[in-house]
Parts: sequence; C-alpha cells; structure tokens
Amino acid sequence: MAATRERTSAREIFNTLEYGPVPESHACALAWLDTQDRHLGHYVNGKWLKPEHRNSVPCQDPITGESLTACLQAQAEDVAAAVEAAGTAFENWSGLPGASRAQHLLRLAKMIQKHQRLLWTLESLVSGRAVREVRDGDVPLAQQLLQYHAVQAYTQEEVLAGWEPMGVIGLILSPMFSFLEMMWRICPALAVGCTVVVLVPPASPTPLLLAQLAGELGSFPGILNVISGPASLGPVLASHPRVQKVTFCGAVEEGRALRRTLAGKGAELGLALGAESLLVLTEAADVDSAVEGVVDAAWSDRNAGGLRLFIQESVWDETMRRLQERMARLRGGRGLDGAMDMGTREAAARDLAQRYVSEARRQGAQVFQAGDSLFPPTLVSDLPPASPCTQAEVPWPVVVASPFRTAKEALAMANGTPRGASASVWSERLGQALELGCGLRVGTVWINAHGLRSTEVPTGGCKESGSSWHGGPDGLYEYLRPSGTPARLSYFSENLNYDTFGLAVPSTLPAGPEIGPSPATPYGLFIGGRFQAPGARSSRPIKNSQGNLHGYVAEGGAKDIRGAVEAAHQAAPGWVGQSPGARATLLWALATALERRESALASRLERHGMELKDAKVEVELSARQLRAWGSRAQAQGHVLQVAELKGPVLRLREPLGVLAVVCPNEWPLLAFVSLLAAALAHGNTVVMVPSGACPIPALEVCQDMATLLPAGLVNVVTGDRDHLTRCLALHQDVQALWYFGSAQGSQFVEWASAGNLKPVWVNRGCPRAWDQEAKGAGAELGLRAARTKALWLPMGD
Amino acid sequence: MSARNGGTELDLSWISKIQVNQPAVLRRAEQIQARRTVKKEWQAAWLLKAVTFIDLTTLSGDDTSSNIQRLCYKAKYPIREDLLKSLNMHDKGLTTAAVCVYPARVCDAVKALKASGCTIPVASVATGFPAGQTHLKTRLEEIRLAVEDGATEIDVVINRTLVLTGQWEGSDFIKTSTGKETVNATFPVAIVMLRAIRDFFWKTGNKVGFKPAGGIRNAKDSLAWLSLVKEELGNEWLTPELFRIGASTLLLDIERQIYHHVTGRYAAYHDLPMS
Repeated sequence: MAATRERTSAREIFNTLEYGPVPESHACALAWLDTQDRHLGHYVNGKWLKPEHRNSVPCQDPITGESLTACLQAQAEDVAAAVEAAGTAFENWSGLPGASRAQHLLRLAKMIQKHQRLLWTLESLVSGRAVREVRDGDVPLAQQLLQYHAVQAYTQEEVLAGWEPMGVIGLILSPMFSFLEMMWRICPALAVGCTVVVLVPPASPTPLLLAQLAGELGSFPGILNVISGPASLGPVLASHPRVQKVTFCGAVEEGRALRRTLAGKGAELGLALGAESLLVLTEAADVDSAVEGVVDAAWSDRNAGGLRLFIQESVWDETMRRLQERMARLRGGRGLDGAMDMGTREAAARDLAQRYVSEARRQGAQVFQAGDSLFPPTLVSDLPPASPCTQAEVPWPVVVASPFRTAKEALAMANGTPRGASASVWSERLGQALELGCGLRVGTVWINAHGLRSTEVPTGGCKESGSSWHGGPDGLYEYLRPSGTPARLSYFSENLNYDTFGLAVPSTLPAGPEIGPSPATPYGLFIGGRFQAPGARSSRPIKNSQGNLHGYVAEGGAKDIRGAVEAAHQAAPGWVGQSPGARATLLWALATALERRESALASRLERHGMELKDAKVEVELSARQLRAWGSRAQAQGHVLQVAELKGPVLRLREPLGVLAVVCPNEWPLLAFVSLLAAALAHGNTVVMVPSGACPIPALEVCQDMATLLPAGLVNVVTGDRDHLTRCLALHQDVQALWYFGSAQGSQFVEWASAGNLKPVWVNRGCPRAWDQEAKGAGAELGLRAARTKALWLPMGD
Repeated sequence: MSARNGGTELDLSWISKIQVNQPAVLRRAEQIQARRTVKKEWQAAWLLKAVTFIDLTTLSGDDTSSNIQRLCYKAKYPIREDLLKSLNMHDKGLTTAAVCVYPARVCDAVKALKASGCTIPVASVATGFPAGQTHLKTRLEEIRLAVEDGATEIDVVINRTLVLTGQWEGSDFIKTSTGKETVNATFPVAIVMLRAIRDFFWKTGNKVGFKPAGGIRNAKDSLAWLSLVKEELGNEWLTPELFRIGASTLLLDIERQIYHHVTGRYAAYHDLPMS
C-alpha cells in the first residue's frame, strides 16, 4: 500500500485530497540498538549487564513483525544483583541533602532533552504508539516530572520533615504500561531518597535507554536499575528482603495474585491496576467536544485502556451519529507516521481486543468499526446490562456505550463497576457537572475534558484500580515513612492456614463469680447506635490483671459484623454530607463527655493493672486526640494551579467509606479513640473491634456515642479478634481495614484484602507508642484515613 | 457559489440549544494543527488546491486600477508556469477562486479580467465594510451598485448590533471576520462555525459555505485550514463553491513553497512575480 502511494502524483492528489505518509525517521533508534549489537541486557549499577546462559526474547516491530533486537531475560540472580546495587546506592543517595538530589534529577532532565529524538522514535518504533503522542506528550512530560520532583527534593527537609525514604523500591511494569508510567513513579522515589529496581516486561528497550541515560551521568550509578524479564519474576523481586516497597502496574488479577503472594513478606505494596476509563455525557454537553473527549480517551494512544461511555438517552442518537462520523475520519496505522491519530499495539493487545469484541457480539452487542488500522477503533453498543462483557474491563481501543436516563442513574451505573481510576463528565451545567464529579468514586475526574495530566496533580484510583498514587504530594508519600519506623522485615509464617485462621470461635463457659465494677458495664454489641445482643447469644469473659473475672462482653460473630457494616453504610451518606466543622463539633462534644467520665474510665484502666496516674493521662490524651482531629478535619484538600490549564484543579480528600479498625491490645482507650477520631474526622464511618484484653473502656465510650453521634456512624463489636478480623478482611463491602494485632493476623489481613483490594494498614505484630505525638496523632494516620481525588475544572467562555 | 440557501423558518430554539465548551474547542484547535500534516507531493498538491480557494484580495484605501490589474493577472496566473509544468499541473487552468475588491474598484477588476479573457468571478465587500454600521438603505444601494458593475459575489457585513442582541440573519456563506479586526480567522472560532454548518446541513440538507479571512499569510496555515475543513466537514466542502480563503499575501508564500518543492531551493524575492 505504501509503495503505490509513493508513486502517487501531485496531479492525482490534487483531485482526491488524500493525506499522505509523514514518516518519522527512526534511524537513530536503530543506530542505538546497533551499539548494543541488537542484543539488550539489563542496566544495573551504571553498567550493561549481559549474563551468560539466559534466554532471550525478540523485540518486534508491531506492524512488520521484523525483529529489532534480542532482549535477555533476567533470572532470580540478576534480580538479586540489581537489588544489591540499589541497596548499596541507597546508603549514599538517601544521605545526600535534598538540594544535591535535585541537581542530579535536573541533570537527568537535561540528558533526556539532549536525546529526546532517540527516546521518542525508539518508543514509537517498539510500542507502535503514535509518535505524535510520544513526542509531544510523553517525552516533554518525562522532563517536567524530573523538574517538578527536583523542586520537591530541594524542599524536602523543610516540607517533609518527620518523614524518611523507605529504601529500595521495586517497580513492576506489565506490558500495557509505557516508559512514562515508570517515570511517574521513579521520579518521586528518587527525589525523596529511595533507589529503584524496575522490572520491565520482555522486549521493552525504552526503560533500558532511560536507565542508560541516568547511568551515564556518572555519579550515583545504582539509583536506577532496570532489568527485563518475564512476569514470573515479579514475585521474586517483590519478596526480596531488601525491597521495602513494591509498586505494581498491571492487570487486576495479577495485582490480586501479587497481594496474596506478598502477605507477610514485609514490603509495602502499591497497586495501579487496569486502564479503563469512564466518560459521562449528559444532554447539557457540547456533544462535538465530548466526542473529541472520547477520541482523546480511547483512540489517540494516550491511554493504555478502553473506555466505558455513558450517554444520556435524550442525546443518544445524535451522539452516536457524531461518533461514527468522527470515527470514519480517524487515521490509524504505523505509529511512526506523524499524521496518525492511532498507531497500533503489540499482537497480545490486539488479540485481547479481538476476543472482547467477538465475545460482545456473541452476547448481542452492536459493533461499529471504522478505519484501516491493524485493529480499528471500535464502538460497542446495546450490550445487555447483565452480560459478562458489561462487567469486564474494556480493552484498548474499544468504547462501550450505554444509555442512562438521569444524572442519578449515570452515577449509579458509573459507580457500579469494580474499577475506580478516572472519569470525565461532560455538561455545561455547572451544578450538574460538580454533582457528578464529586459523586463518582474514582481517583481523577475531568470536567469537560479527558486525559489531562500534570506533574503536580496526584493521580491514582480506588476500589479494584488500586490505591497507589503518583504525581503531586501524594506521589511522594508513596515512598516515605515516618522517621524512625523500623525497616520492614518479613514476618511471614509458613504455618498460617488462610482457610482456617479465625474460622472457629472457641466456646466460652461461665468462669466463676463476677467481681465486676459498679455501675455494671454496658453489655452487648454497639451497632446502629444502640447496644444489641450478639447473634450467637454467648459471651466471653474479661479478666482483670490479677486473673479474676472482671465481667462478660458479648461474643460477636459473622452476622454481627454483617449488621455493623450495613449500619455503617447507612450512616455514611449523612456523615459525608456533614461539613468538617460540624464533624469537629461532634468530636469536641465527645471529648467533653470523655472528660466527664474520666474517673470511671481511669478506674477501669486501673483494674487492668495500670497506675491510676497513667490511667488518668490516657483518658486526658484521648480527649485531646478527639479535639486535635476535630480541628484538623477543617483543613482538608486544596486547590492546585496547573501549567497550561486555565482553571483550578481541586485536590479533594474524600472518605474511604466504611473503615474497619481492629484496635491494638495496648492502650485500650487511647488507641481506640485515636483511630476513631482520625477516621471520623475524615468522614468515614467505622466498624471497630476494641482491645481484646480490655474492651470495657471502649464500650463505656459507646454510651456517650449513643447519645451524641448519629446512629451507625460508629459500630463496636467485641468478641474473638481473629474471628472478627477474618469476617472484616473478607468482607467485600468494607472499603479499608486497619489492623493492630498479631503478626499472623497482619499476614492474614494482607492476604484476604486481595478480595476487593481494599487498602490495609497492618502493624505486623509490632506495638505502637500511641502516647507519642508522631505515632498516635501523626500525619500517617491522616494520610491513611482518606483518599485523594483530583477534580479538574478547566474554565473559559 | 453554491446553490442558494433556501432558508428555513427561523427557529431560535436551535440556537439556544447549542452548547460550546470553549476550553475543549481550544484543545481541539491545537490538536488538528498538530495531528494533520502533509509532506512532499501531498503538500504540493494540497497547496495548489489551496490556491483554487483563494479570494485574492486587496482592500486598501489607495487601490487604483493599476494594482487591481496586477491583482487580476496574478489571479489568472497564480503559480509560475514552469513550476506547474514540472508538477504536470500546467493544463489544469489553475486560478484563484475570485478576486475581492472594494465596490468602487469592481469596474476595474471586471475590465482587467475581461481583457485577459478569463471568467474568474469578482467579489466585492459591501454594506459599509468593515463595520456595517451604515443605514440599511445605503447598504442595499451599495450592493445593487456593485452587482450592476459586474460583481457576482458580495461579502456582506452583517449588522452585529442585531447579532449581539440575539436577532439573527441567514446566509449562503459564512465568513469568520472582515479581516480588518485585531483578531481575525482563528481555529477555535472556525471549529464552532464549521460545526454549525454541519448541524444546519444535517437538519435542512442545505450546504452553507465557509470563508476564513484575515491573518492567513503562510502556506502552512493554509494547509491547516484545509485539513480543518476536511476533518470537520469532509471533502465535500473542499470546493471553491463551499470554501474560500480570503487572503492577499498567502499566494506568494504558497508559490515560494511550490518553488522549493520543485527546485529544492528557497526562492529569492525576485524569483516570483508580484501581485
């Protein structure tokens, strides 16, 4: 086809007014591959690493199938060498002043600028993506990322005091994620003082080129190491004892598997899963512009995934006509052509799309395709709502359109998928746009735009899209931990049986005479604002420090947890709707009630072996926590100004939803109240399991909560901690879980959270000093108690 | 000119329903320019096509019959013959779409074109150009006189007082601006106008023409305008009946680009005949 076009004369073109080829020369990319003898290894510690006796995989031109280079496949020992190098480099790199790290990042930005042509031609050549998107989008953004994070490194000592770099970071990329996704994550990691080992899929030369560019800066060779290998190496890198944090970008099921594998292994895990996006098109939209939004989202090689499109019924016909008309004008083909809208992808991505489309057809969908590329832009409509394809993730370059009647229904449909990465809302009605924007449960919302991005705007997701963040302040915290936190070591227990952990509840029998307090402790589970008898109708004895029976608390079980979670969900809309000021008022009122109850609470704590003086301090600290979090609730979120965007980006801090908290045994009142206060201040509703040894002070507080707080906002379930933990961790409709208990419990929670990929925070069996400011009321708690949402509001008339 | 717009009942609900999101349109305008380029033979062919859309214009206070005559000659022979020959385009009778002058110069233009034996239409701006702020009676008279002198196309300045107060008028062709404003033909405005033309066509079957004018000075700009129309309306609109570019210096730059395409060298000022 190309050959005949070349002979086309100006005379013919004058009549047809066709577009012609605009080839971008990729000679420099080939020349670079030649410097490696078309045989790429790994880039570790500032040197090419080409070990003997390894398999190699060809890297092919996605259009011609021609082999461009061979890529060595790493094995476990290569991973170990890379982690070793990163570990050694960390000693130096993390000790540098931020200003020096800033200098180094800027030098790398310059290096990229000098070799940008090589970078974009290589990337477009091997990935097949439109060169225009790589050249005008990705490469400049890669430089901006380094510049932005250089500034963050420079101000780190001041702005991020109290935080320290985690250590060696393992970054795992799966094939659909480009070198830019790597840059989004290595920049903040390097800026704050971490060093990185990146595992890239077979046949991805661009990250290796970037590592080489960084390595050729001379100093600090080991801070960025890139190895290429099969997906099976992911767990090997992730489980390496020196790796403190793993960031995984890939498919949902791979992420789930990695979550299970990593349970108890020590490293933190950040997940960025899937690539589907949403677009809600209302009848008040500029439909032509919204159609361009669909093009940006699905057919312009900006995003890795497909698009779920919701169109208001009243503009359905008009929109479909415009979409199809627009699709006919899309140009697809070789990525290295400068006038292509859409390049192509590797065979695996095309197969995935093909399977999805065939399946959708079989399930009764209408499929419209246009254009002449290897896999054309595809519009799927009329999918039956309950068909598997409606639930499945939409792959590149497919758009699945469904109609909705009202904005409320649009929200229900958009929030009705397990994914929560990004969405755009198209409406010229400000009120409606904001209502939808705030109601969508996703990490990023654009109003009347799609796919905008900027270094200073945090980008991430929720639900099964994973809760890892990049960009802005949130991207930095991914690689920081509170100063003084011990290194994360494996606490993995081979003996832990996930099937049976906490499954059975030991039966409890009468345990002798009650010497309990007077007035008697409240009995029952605090659910939905009142004390209820447990479903199992049995109790567990609580002993005091001398081993005498202090009293009985209710033995909660799976059904009670179900009721508590339901009650919390019912209370959620009301609590989210409260202003932070109103939330603060309630927390302050609770603090006053706590102080009024001081002597009773102190004497309860005393019975558990505490000095009366210390007990009083604990009550006092607890009241202080409530007040502190109450006032902090009022300073939430902020407005970002973004280069090249007229209008603000709001960084909102939204509640996680229903948060389950398993409180530690130590500090039975203070820990309970601290965790509760942080959770409530950020708008969450909670299900709490109080200290196992000493649950009674928490139940005392429930008496005040029954009168002060809305019903269902706080639910407290006593009982066997392992059993309750099991119920909560496996509950699909609990949005987050904090666990302070045993090492085995922590491991179980990490494993079980793979179900709905809820963010979890576990103490790995280590006690925490709740009476210290940094631990008890620290920024870490605030960070974990809410999730970020970026709301883009471009303006103009 | 296209077949006359038969018109429809004025339905203001069409206008009130229109939604235009300015930032989104600005982004689209940037994208079209970045995503559509043509090179080599394609560029040459597209540039020659652009020539056929040009309303070769002079709207100066000091226009006289001599420079009008030169303009008309350039309209008939827009590109040097030898350059056309090497592109095998010399037998196409390539001319600009029209010449465009002030009403008082219509006579000169008609005479000059007749003398050179060619049928290029003469367009005239009229109706109190460029402000349109004269009485309806004199404006109508102005049109009548220009037509009498032989103008076959009239660029009417609508009364913008009426537009800004929501009283609309219909037309066969819509033009971005007079070319005499501080901001003239811009892509974002054009996108909105082209989408309106498409909507009108979908609703009524009438094809309204489009003419950007003012500030289109170089060959690259003209290519961008062609691809803009191609993208938003399709090839159907890429004919002189439905698409014009109002310009005076653009033609010279196109000729320079053609010269470069044919010879591989950049032309000196004196290599190409002036208009």
